[in-house]
Amino acid sequence: MSVASSSSTEGAAPLAPRSARVRLTATWLVAPGLAFLAVFFLYPVASLLFLSVTDPEGGGWSLRSFARIASTDVYLRVLGITFRVAGSTAVLSLLIGYPLAYWIASLSEAVRNRALLFVVVPFWTSYLVKTFAWMLILGRNGVINKLLMGAHVVDGPLPLLQNEFGVMVGMVHSMVPLAVITMLPVLTSIDRRLVSAAQTLGASPSHAFWMVYFKLSLPGVTAAGLLVFISSLGFFIVPAFLGGPQQTMLAQLIITQISELLNWSFAGALAVMMLATALAAFWIYDRVFGMSSISGGASVETDGKLRRVGIEALALLASASEALAAGARAVLGRRVTAGLLPAASWLIIAFLVLPTLLVIPIGFTSSEFLSFPPPGYSVRWFDTYFSSPLWIAATLRSFGVAFATALVSTVIGAAAAIALAGSRTRFGGAIFAFFLAPMIVPRVVIAVGMFYLFARLGLVATNTGLVIGHSVLALPFTVVTVTAILKTYDPRLDQAAATLGANRARTLAYVTVPIIRGGLVAAFLFAFITSFDELTIAIFISGGIATTLPKQMWDDMILQLNPTLAAVSTVVFVVVTALLLVAQRLRRTA
Amino acid sequence: MSKTTLETTRRGLLTAAGGLAAAIAAPGLIGRAAAATQITVADPGGPFGPAFRKAFYDPFEKATGNKVVNVAREAEPTAQFKAMVETKSYIWDVCTLTLSARDILAKQGLLEPIGFGRNEAPKLMPEAISENWMGTDVYSTVFAYRTDRVKTPLNSWADFFDVEKFPGRRSMRKNPIDSLEQALLADGVPLDKLYPLDVERAFKKLNAIKPHIAVWWTGGAQTTQLLQSGEVDIITGWNARFQAAIDGGTPAKIVWNQGLYSIEGWSIPKGCPRADVARAFIKFCSDPERQAAITEGLAYGPTNLDAYKTIPAKRAEDLPTSPNNLKKMAIADENWWSANRAAVTERFNSWILS
Repeated sequence: MSVASSSSTEGAAPLAPRSARVRLTATWLVAPGLAFLAVFFLYPVASLLFLSVTDPEGGGWSLRSFARIASTDVYLRVLGITFRVAGSTAVLSLLIGYPLAYWIASLSEAVRNRALLFVVVPFWTSYLVKTFAWMLILGRNGVINKLLMGAHVVDGPLPLLQNEFGVMVGMVHSMVPLAVITMLPVLTSIDRRLVSAAQTLGASPSHAFWMVYFKLSLPGVTAAGLLVFISSLGFFIVPAFLGGPQQTMLAQLIITQISELLNWSFAGALAVMMLATALAAFWIYDRVFGMSSISGGASVETDGKLRRVGIEALALLASASEALAAGARAVLGRRVTAGLLPAASWLIIAFLVLPTLLVIPIGFTSSEFLSFPPPGYSVRWFDTYFSSPLWIAATLRSFGVAFATALVSTVIGAAAAIALAGSRTRFGGAIFAFFLAPMIVPRVVIAVGMFYLFARLGLVATNTGLVIGHSVLALPFTVVTVTAILKTYDPRLDQAAATLGANRARTLAYVTVPIIRGGLVAAFLFAFITSFDELTIAIFISGGIATTLPKQMWDDMILQLNPTLAAVSTVVFVVVTALLLVAQRLRRTA
Repeated sequence: MSKTTLETTRRGLLTAAGGLAAAIAAPGLIGRAAAATQITVADPGGPFGPAFRKAFYDPFEKATGNKVVNVAREAEPTAQFKAMVETKSYIWDVCTLTLSARDILAKQGLLEPIGFGRNEAPKLMPEAISENWMGTDVYSTVFAYRTDRVKTPLNSWADFFDVEKFPGRRSMRKNPIDSLEQALLADGVPLDKLYPLDVERAFKKLNAIKPHIAVWWTGGAQTTQLLQSGEVDIITGWNARFQAAIDGGTPAKIVWNQGLYSIEGWSIPKGCPRADVARAFIKFCSDPERQAAITEGLAYGPTNLDAYKTIPAKRAEDLPTSPNNLKKMAIADENWWSANRAAVTERFNSWILS
């Protein structure tokens, strides 16, 4: 890391071999990740995207697919919608997630862990089930409309579904946990005494927050914004079910081309268009928000003008919020305003757990349908679940595959993040973007490309194949999460360790890893969830033989959505919550 | 059966390794086919699994000694099918395909011949068998309405499009397939003169109903939910999805009149090493009694019309191919769609956004 750069600039002869060795070590850490993605992501996806420049009718070079995109405005419009929806989701998720993360970060560690359990609740309900839960909540005869009409607040049902509102509810709900968990390690690592120090030096509480705390939390915010934005680009089930025609997303059109029309050339062209635009967006994001602060050194320092504008904006925000806070205190009194943050946080948590709370009683329904409130109660759907070897096998496989995926991608991703944080290569940004690419490329493109590769390697319908496939998807999450926490890591600690005689490996094991533990845990969690809730890769790689839980749920939805889904979700929720509680207890006693 | 096995084995090997090799290898191969072979059958999953197990898989295992493992396939498994054949990793030996998927795959040469024709199963519907595919069940695109919300009974697509006379929240499929046909039928085009579709006229008619469509659905499971929860009152879709809601107690009625039916059936991936057993299995599924057995649990129509000899009259009412329902409907023309689908889909996507 910094040792490498400083010693190499000295250029003294006796140091030369050592610096070469150190640099080799840093490069080596990013190598497994790069090699892994090159083989299991770049190669299969590139060979599929390559089809976009061939003639769909009979091979040969051709730009016909791109000409077709240009010949109508429909694809550009859908691309615009996709970016609009992803952008609004990112902004809203940050606006909702930040206060919650701030509040959780301010709690004592024991309470914080318990509050976190609530935040991750939505993770343990399959997104298929969550989407249907929202339909039951927001529908014309849904929970909200029934309540409002029962209380005579409104005369007719409010249009909460099949529009932008419905899509935003569904997407923000899935993305707030991601935003919170990405920001949290950064927020908790901020020394709150700095805020007190600023106030001692005369800053108002608002100024102390915005100019000191918020500014220090920016790496977490930018990382969260990026992760949410990029994951939102690939959504299609939520917009298809909760939105109207105006919320058509590009991933849906690509899937239609791949699996219904079998026009892989055109699908490739659409995917190339989406990938290129997303990379352009990443580049702009990098320019505006100093995202290379994530990929490399502290670039906030580099751009003087932009930095001044940023600080002035923060100062303005501080003054505005100071006026607002003063107004609120005058109207509500000091005690009420002090309770505003916890109240808002609990409200957000209520929003996060609401669909799961709905799913549990539905699991106990006596009806054949997912409906709320259930007409009667029974355990028949739990019976169906526990007596089916298919369901049980799928559940066990999903847990196993998710655990292996989390392990593989956290190790590879953390190594890459550490290497990137230490190196000052100008390729840092490009390498970082490469690690993000699996999030941007539509999953069905990855899945089809992977199938061809895995068939040659004999990995189709194997657990190993699933773990590799899921690790490709999970890597972006682990790299970004660990990078964000490393931003708060002081590289001088490495130097200190080196001075005291520790080699790189010892420094890593005894200094770096323990300090960034929070980020590693978050990365592990993300990777676990990514695998646990993944459907597209599972469909292709498992071929229906090595079935995972989401695949089994999907198969069960073929004719109708029966409450087994809710029962399964309930079981998973209970098991996971129990596991997390036990893990917490063990950590505390250890 | 053993005759077809022998013939096809020989044909496959002749092209691969020449006559001598065939003569040497054939006995061994036949021996293995006669001993238990395990085939993997990809069916539509969900309730199809147990219904097909009872009607097809178990009886086939009993009759031939071969094993059938069933897995659930995707709604449109064409991409997987293509990938499987091109990489020669035959994880499935038999797979359910819709007519459109069959045509797309057949055009790209990805299907194996099934080795028998209609003369060997004369009571099969003529549309239900081709060189490389045999239909097992007929589904129908119809519409249904909530009888508790819509007081005047609807009886035609003209009624569905008449929002003045038949008020109610409506839902259609976000797809040009079927939607165009429905618009033309509503506009007065007779059922037997639908194809080639008059696309201009269809979009003009669709323009009129567009503001009244509350939900554009995308997946079949969604239609059951929409009807059952009362999110909409009148909805287009596939008959068995609505039947599932009705069987579960939803007050709704299916309108069979002017319905468009289509067929799902078995195909074998090109070059499948267990194609002989797969062919025998498909032939086995053309049996009327086997087909009657699937209708006990699934509201799909058998393709072998002799099956109605054993299906109870009450159940026949809910099935698309019962004589009474079939005469009100026509088959959707896949040829027209395979030629025009890409362009019309693009136009439809653009139309729905504007």
